[in-house]
Amino acid sequence: MSTIIDIANTIFDPLIKLGAAPLMTIILTVIALFFRVKFSDALEGGLKLGIALTGISAIINILTTAFSGALSQFVESTGISLNITDVGWAPLATITWGSPYTLFFLLIMVIVNIIMLLLNKTNTLDVDIFDIWHLSIVGLFAIYAGANLLIATLLVVFIGILKIINSDLMKPTFNDLLNAPDENPMTTTHMNYMMNPIIMVFDKIFDKFFPWLDKYDFDAAKLNSKVGFWGSKFAIGVYLGIFVGLLSQQSPTQIFTLAFTAAVCLELFSLIGSWFIASVEPLSQGITNFANKKMGGRQLNIGLDWPFLAGRAEIWAAANVLAPIMLILALILPGNGLLPLGGIIAMGVTPALLVITRGKVLRMIVIGTIELPIFLWSGSLMAPFITETAKKVGAFPAGMDSGTMISHTTMEGPVEKFLAYLVGNASQGQIEFVLYAGLALVLYLLAFVWYAKEMKKRNAVYAAEKEDVETSAEGVTSSI
Amino acid sequence: MVNILAACGAGVNSSHQIKNALETELSKRGYQVKCDAVMVKDINKNMIDHYDIFAPISSTSLGFDIDIPVVDCGPILYRIPAMAEPVYKKMEETIKSLNK
Repeated sequence: MSTIIDIANTIFDPLIKLGAAPLMTIILTVIALFFRVKFSDALEGGLKLGIALTGISAIINILTTAFSGALSQFVESTGISLNITDVGWAPLATITWGSPYTLFFLLIMVIVNIIMLLLNKTNTLDVDIFDIWHLSIVGLFAIYAGANLLIATLLVVFIGILKIINSDLMKPTFNDLLNAPDENPMTTTHMNYMMNPIIMVFDKIFDKFFPWLDKYDFDAAKLNSKVGFWGSKFAIGVYLGIFVGLLSQQSPTQIFTLAFTAAVCLELFSLIGSWFIASVEPLSQGITNFANKKMGGRQLNIGLDWPFLAGRAEIWAAANVLAPIMLILALILPGNGLLPLGGIIAMGVTPALLVITRGKVLRMIVIGTIELPIFLWSGSLMAPFITETAKKVGAFPAGMDSGTMISHTTMEGPVEKFLAYLVGNASQGQIEFVLYAGLALVLYLLAFVWYAKEMKKRNAVYAAEKEDVETSAEGVTSSI
Repeated sequence: MVNILAACGAGVNSSHQIKNALETELSKRGYQVKCDAVMVKDINKNMIDHYDIFAPISSTSLGFDIDIPVVDCGPILYRIPAMAEPVYKKMEETIKSLNK
């Protein structure tokens, strides 16, 4: 492994000195060519990644520069220490894709996925290349916390395998939620669903003690249509700018500046996020073609990004209700340093709640509220690492107060971030961390094994129901 | 010009893949289309009424009746041309039915 790193350093050192944007332009272009993408498409993708990195850096600069002074005064005025700006998922994804290690983890996971398919350990071909960043950030955080590349890679592979298995376990539930036939190949390996085991524990508690609560479920779609633009990104930016401005005792002019700056930054984060996703598109197509060829036309389920469930209104109803709850929690939660902003619409939280509760919206809200502290603590723990990584790729303003940091309130896979922290520290040889990391990994695996058993029971019920329907249909046909 | 509305969770990833695929493929087939990509949660009656076709990933519950034709575009995301082809055909039929 050290030889590989030495060779990599020899090759990459002169490139790294060019800066993150040109470096990643070159690397993404070369990797895409490796997967037989046409040169012009490969170069287009590479350039778009460089542009997205530069763009996201500019917006982080605008947001953190505007808010750093106000947040310091917010702490002074209120005594509440929330000095970490929540920039949401797009900057984090871009910063993570700004690391060459992300492409390394991607190649490893493509190989793992193909091996699992060849060994019939999964039926999912993951084509959601872009979302490798969720796994990569775990590996990068483990390295930041002290792990070497080998340990970080093993952790990434371990979680990656469970994610792929999880996509198979959830497939019948996806068909149920989408009212889709078995032939529908949509599934997902998305990291947010790795919260399923924890959610399932609470869901079982609901089944046992509070099943009566389900009868008070409301029409989620109606709630969403009433929320309207009030729940949009720019509106949330305006509210939170005013909120911070008022509590930090700014002048009316400064309050409006904060409000409009936050609004424009939240809109632009998404816009630049779309450039960045477009940049990975040629590589995604190249890898999909490559993997499909290896599978020789076998019928597979296809791992997509999570939003094929976004048409389910419960996801948005729960996210709308959880947003103000998160703001209150952030103010009172000990150990939290994050002020919700870019991640306040909890898209990293609610899809898993939908899958486990199967659309019982009150359960989604209650369990979501219970699990939000895990996300806030994880985001706070990650802040020094994310801020430092942002500085490395030039995505953080120079001369900013050292206490000013950025992170994300509802980043998918909070438990995996704690694992990365423990594994990273354990790699330094501290005996207590070795014990904690070992124990955490065992508990994590046991929780997944229990969850997998429960999902298999659920899937057996789905299969039996389907058999009943087919039997009764045959009965009707024969009686005719 | 036919205006299409694609939608996904963040209005950034899947919906943009659908937007790019529809604009590229349908223009190759001789249609003038413009596709916008948005978050599902941001769609309201007023917005959707400005479009000719709604192109979600899968069936979508918006809390109001959708009065324009809906073509599920999820199979475009599989990145396998044979699986995307029925979506393009359906989209072509729908565009023709608009008589624009």
